[in-house]
Amino acid sequence: MASDSSPTRFNNTPSSPDDSAFSSPIGDTFSSPNKRGRGRSAATPAYDTPPHPNSRSRFASSEATPTPLHHAGRPTTPSSTSEGAPSSEAGDDMDEAAPTFVWGTNISVQDVKSAIQMFLKNFRDAQSQGAEIYEDGKYMKAIHRVLEIEGEWLDVDAHDVFDYNPELYGKMVRYPLEVLAIFDIVLMDMVSLINPLFEKHVQVRIFNLKGSTTMRNLNPSDIEKMVSLKGMVIRCSAIIPEIREATFRCLVCGYFSDPIVVDRGRISEPTLCLKQECQAKNSMTLVHNRCRFADKQIVRLQETPDEIPEGGTPHTVSLLMHDKLVDAGKPGDRVEVTGIYRAMSVRLGPTQRTVKSLFKTYIDCLHIKKTDKSRMVAEDAMEIDSGTQKHDEDVEFDEAKLSKLPDIYDRLTRSLAPNIWELDDVKRGLLCQLFGGNALKLPSGASFRGDINILLVGDPGTSKSQLLQYIHKLSPRGIYTSGRGSSAVGLTAYVSRDPETKETVLESGALVLSDRGICCIDEFDKMSENARSMLHEVMEQQTVSIAKAGIIATLNARTSVLACANPIGSRYNPRLSVIDNIHLPPTLLSRFDLIYLILDKADEQTDKHLARHIVSLHFEDPELAQQDVLDIATLTAYLSYARNHINPQLSDEAAEELTRGYVEMRRRGNFPGSSKKVITATPRQIESLIRISEALARIRFSEIVEKHDVTEAFRLLEVAMQQSATDHTTGTIDMDLITTGVSASERMRRENLVISTRNIIMEKLQLGGPSMRLLEILEELKKQSFAVEVHLHDLRNAVATLETEGVVVVHGDSVKRL
Amino acid sequence: MVGPMYDCLANPLGAIRLTFEKAVGSGCEPSAFDGKDWGALDVFREFLVDQGNLSQVPVLNSETLKWVQPNTLVRFRGMVQDMLGNEFYAGAYKDGSGWRTNKFGDDSQQPIDSSPDVRVWERRLLYCVPVPGLNTWAESEAASEATVTSMDLTSQQRDKRQRMDAESMDYEGSNIVLEDSPSAKRMREDGHPSLSVQLSDLKPEGPCSSTMMRPEVGDSPSCLVKVYDTRESELKLNDIFEFVGVFTIESEPVPADDGDDIDLTTGFRNDLVHLVPCLHCIVHRKLAVSDFLRSSPIIEQSKHVVMNTRESLLRHLTMLLGNDGVAANYMLLHLLSKIHARVDNVAVGKLSLNLTCLSKEALSVFGVQLCNALRNLLPFTDSIPLTVNYLNTACLGPKKDYQRNRLIGGTLQLAEGSHLTIDETQLETGTLNSVGIENARLLKDLVELQKVEYDFTYYKMEMAADVQLLVLSEGKSNILPADIVLPVRPSDVSRPEVVSAEALGAWRWYLATMRTLSHTIESEIQEVVEKDLVAARQADRRIGSKEFSSLLTMGRLMSLSFGETTLSLEHWEMVKELEKLRKERIN
Repeated sequence: MASDSSPTRFNNTPSSPDDSAFSSPIGDTFSSPNKRGRGRSAATPAYDTPPHPNSRSRFASSEATPTPLHHAGRPTTPSSTSEGAPSSEAGDDMDEAAPTFVWGTNISVQDVKSAIQMFLKNFRDAQSQGAEIYEDGKYMKAIHRVLEIEGEWLDVDAHDVFDYNPELYGKMVRYPLEVLAIFDIVLMDMVSLINPLFEKHVQVRIFNLKGSTTMRNLNPSDIEKMVSLKGMVIRCSAIIPEIREATFRCLVCGYFSDPIVVDRGRISEPTLCLKQECQAKNSMTLVHNRCRFADKQIVRLQETPDEIPEGGTPHTVSLLMHDKLVDAGKPGDRVEVTGIYRAMSVRLGPTQRTVKSLFKTYIDCLHIKKTDKSRMVAEDAMEIDSGTQKHDEDVEFDEAKLSKLPDIYDRLTRSLAPNIWELDDVKRGLLCQLFGGNALKLPSGASFRGDINILLVGDPGTSKSQLLQYIHKLSPRGIYTSGRGSSAVGLTAYVSRDPETKETVLESGALVLSDRGICCIDEFDKMSENARSMLHEVMEQQTVSIAKAGIIATLNARTSVLACANPIGSRYNPRLSVIDNIHLPPTLLSRFDLIYLILDKADEQTDKHLARHIVSLHFEDPELAQQDVLDIATLTAYLSYARNHINPQLSDEAAEELTRGYVEMRRRGNFPGSSKKVITATPRQIESLIRISEALARIRFSEIVEKHDVTEAFRLLEVAMQQSATDHTTGTIDMDLITTGVSASERMRRENLVISTRNIIMEKLQLGGPSMRLLEILEELKKQSFAVEVHLHDLRNAVATLETEGVVVVHGDSVKRL
Repeated sequence: MVGPMYDCLANPLGAIRLTFEKAVGSGCEPSAFDGKDWGALDVFREFLVDQGNLSQVPVLNSETLKWVQPNTLVRFRGMVQDMLGNEFYAGAYKDGSGWRTNKFGDDSQQPIDSSPDVRVWERRLLYCVPVPGLNTWAESEAASEATVTSMDLTSQQRDKRQRMDAESMDYEGSNIVLEDSPSAKRMREDGHPSLSVQLSDLKPEGPCSSTMMRPEVGDSPSCLVKVYDTRESELKLNDIFEFVGVFTIESEPVPADDGDDIDLTTGFRNDLVHLVPCLHCIVHRKLAVSDFLRSSPIIEQSKHVVMNTRESLLRHLTMLLGNDGVAANYMLLHLLSKIHARVDNVAVGKLSLNLTCLSKEALSVFGVQLCNALRNLLPFTDSIPLTVNYLNTACLGPKKDYQRNRLIGGTLQLAEGSHLTIDETQLETGTLNSVGIENARLLKDLVELQKVEYDFTYYKMEMAADVQLLVLSEGKSNILPADIVLPVRPSDVSRPEVVSAEALGAWRWYLATMRTLSHTIESEIQEVVEKDLVAARQADRRIGSKEFSSLLTMGRLMSLSFGETTLSLEHWEMVKELEKLRKERIN
């Protein structure tokens, strides 16, 4: 094996040259990985504790026979069995012997041991520190808990080790085999102090290292070091039973041998019967069901797509799992693994001693964490994704500096999809959506969402989809779907039957999966009616309730919806209302905070812009073209920091402004001297306004929503409204357009039509007399010099209204007065 | 001079060892050479470059594979098809009292003892295959550089392919019959098949589909290349390289955990022990298209020569397309296209061409001629017969096979600068299954975005590609939205002319060189262009950024085709004129 990889040897231990340890027979089932790989048991002999049932290596048999340790299950231990009694007397009392050192280093075993003891006994969380000194430390509590539940391992957060004793952490990472072995021994000592009768072996499992590497960066210097990396499980081998203790039986006399422990990957089969009377030669045979086996599994881990550089294929690495870790991950799981990187030489053939110059590398797994699972449970996705604390601190500094820039809002706007020109106000809206407002939950149970929903409606070829894709890339989590291919259940949740267990299981749909993120729905208009109706609940209550196949559940779907739709008939018809153009039910439409119309105007200025943009795309260095723009990484970091740490509150001033603005907006609907009443704003709008102004404050990293945030929010809302809720005949904002699809002026026109129709009918038709055809009435109406053009369709509506009033009867095309 | 001291060609390992011993002898610790060179590279560089001995090194192909001795120096030209990760090996070890090295070789068979005496180094494993769609002339010209003669330069594979062509020709019973085997032979020998023999009214499937027969990984000389001490960004997937290094034969690497220790389990054991040629790379060099040309005719890049070559090539193309000058112009631009920038999802510089109005019958005249001509002009070409059956069965996108731990290259795993002809005329009504839909989507993505999705089962990865796409169809292709849709108007079916080898060489040089020229735009012209674009958009609202893009690409390519590096008004006008003619044809 590679340098310092040899099993622990101590300098006062006359270590016998263990040749087999290096040309470690790969074939042997007992190469290093076997006993939890780390060869930790190897350390035991060096400072063997006085006979104590519980201080034995975790690999020895667990029957508490208080016999002196024969170094069971330590094949790589050089000195143990051959020398009989361990040569080092460093027991529980470490004072008597000269300091023992980890072989090849200046690390004193005693120092490490006491450091670990101190750590386990005294470490306290930062929060609990100083609270009660007399209370047990974090890990003492953990040990007690392990004892209570008869657990087999103790999870130790490497960050805690670092906080308590950085030196110990350094040693642990650099010499994991040795330090972990000592860790285990200390732990077992402590366990036996607490409960001398506790029989199980408790192991230490380290996780959450301070630095994690990528698979690509593993190099020879990492061998025998503790590493942590992320990846995706792609294959799992079957569980391999690995022999730990073998029992033999004499074929002649039936004598059973004592269990023989695997030593250095080999079982020394007795050549003759040990029974004095028998002593038959070559008569011993293995008795399988008296042997002891342990589970082992080989798992292959592959890089996740985000770690693969351009022009590369994913790397893979093998993991060795033991005992409890077996089957901890299934193919497809994203995991974070902590383990020891090891290399072993490859023999030419199973029977040959010569080895190739190659090494096989693998990671001896200590701890495995499924990242995806924790993501589902986690309160905030960003928290998980933002990585280690160190990263956070660094970022915090940078971001804080960024947020102080006076033009941060504009700069962010510019950085958002820099290749899509214009549409600045749409981008601002999207920025608000990314940052989001504060969700509010009242004690009464009522909750107000903080997520901002945006709908983009526009002509084809106006880069709506590109915007969507960009946001999808940027948002911390989220699903991108197309309305055309989505079904109602696909969006919310569905029940399926697990192929293995035959049980019905709930599978999350797109909206549930993008909880705390943004769900981007392209081609919203193409979505089936059924699927769209599912969105009602999601967009206001932020939950998905289902009741099917015996599963009744309400799932969180705190997601922002970003949808885009094409107008009906592919091009936006400015003469029709938004509702008519996109053909969405008003109930759904009103749930969008901002509705942007992205229209392809025949504007020379825009065209020029487009032309210049494309010319520069072709003839200039694209990098040069976009200066003064934040890259995606910075943007994401900024975003996640803001979402995590900033929770702005409305200031009094802002609240006042909000009220004033709202009243103003509503008042705008009252035309002086006009009887018609136009609703320009609804309570939904004020909620939207609050959300948007909160998001704007967040963009500035401000904890207080200021007046100018509110002003900007009003501006944004108005820009969006002006485009979408403008009544094209009067030019005023009309919320009725959104809520009912019919504007006030339109309604007025209809009323006028009804009145004139009634007049015509009164004039022309006799009570109970002959009927009149609709077309004739239309002719009459046109004659009466109506400024507005009248369609047959409109007339039909008017006549229908009259029919309900009981004035006329309609039979097909003929109208009869009653 | 150190050069003559070593026999780099026949005993490269000796040279490596000697330099190593010398370096260690001069007092350096072997640990100093972790990931570094100790001077061996200089020896080889001097031998290969300074002394110009590169051509002495035999090229590895299926023929030479038979007689090349292990542990000698060989060359291999190929595309990086898969990356098999890194490998750790005992780079230097103590043998008795002295240090020895294992770099560039695998010979250490003795048990390696105690660890402090071993330095573990790492190297990268690349799985390389011959460039997909490599045409015979390009291959033979690469090989002919080697003075090691006496060997048949064409690989068996090519041989077979040629024969298949010939057979299909024979089967067709065209007017030029029984010429088949000589033609194939001639092609093999001089690398320039005379077009008169090749081109006849064949059934379109003939050559097109036979070029489809991509060499199966395994029976072609694919090669495992072990690369030392390079930065990761240097070697990318689908890049073409020439590797020079020590030749060995090895069993195919299996996933590292397929060790002996689990072979009684159902673990992932690879029971087929494949022997693959292996090359321990000492020197590597990225190849561009121009490296596949015969190096001898170094044509002065004078304006005059460029103009002449352009003229003659255009004439040739015009004739190929039945005297359709407009189509020939478009074809020329198409052949010069190359992606020069990527901004978000936009691949700038692509110009895919969709020739329409080609019925099956028309294609039998032009398609085959075109196919053959393209094969003679460009180093890497490939073609796909788009039938329902093909779409439903073919494996277009590369896919990772976790059983073998290998990326299975699909048809669309192509080297940069490849040309792909898609023949849609044979498409008939039918139903696509899920594979077919997936394949159609892959093709569409390639046409639109110049990206190919690689399937890694648990996730998909998009890889950038740079492939010139030519679509032949009856009407406008609905599956493949090409940048330029052009109805062909052939007026005259002429017998293809006999093309001289010199002309071919000049054309190849022209196409390879012109497309790599850099290009800029003057601000005055830029304004003119912008104005034109705005005017065009004012006139027709349907014109969007996509049309602008292809117009600008054409402008760029047009001036490149004249060997110019700035866009001139004259060329811009030419482009607009061409577009006008094309629009007239469409409406």
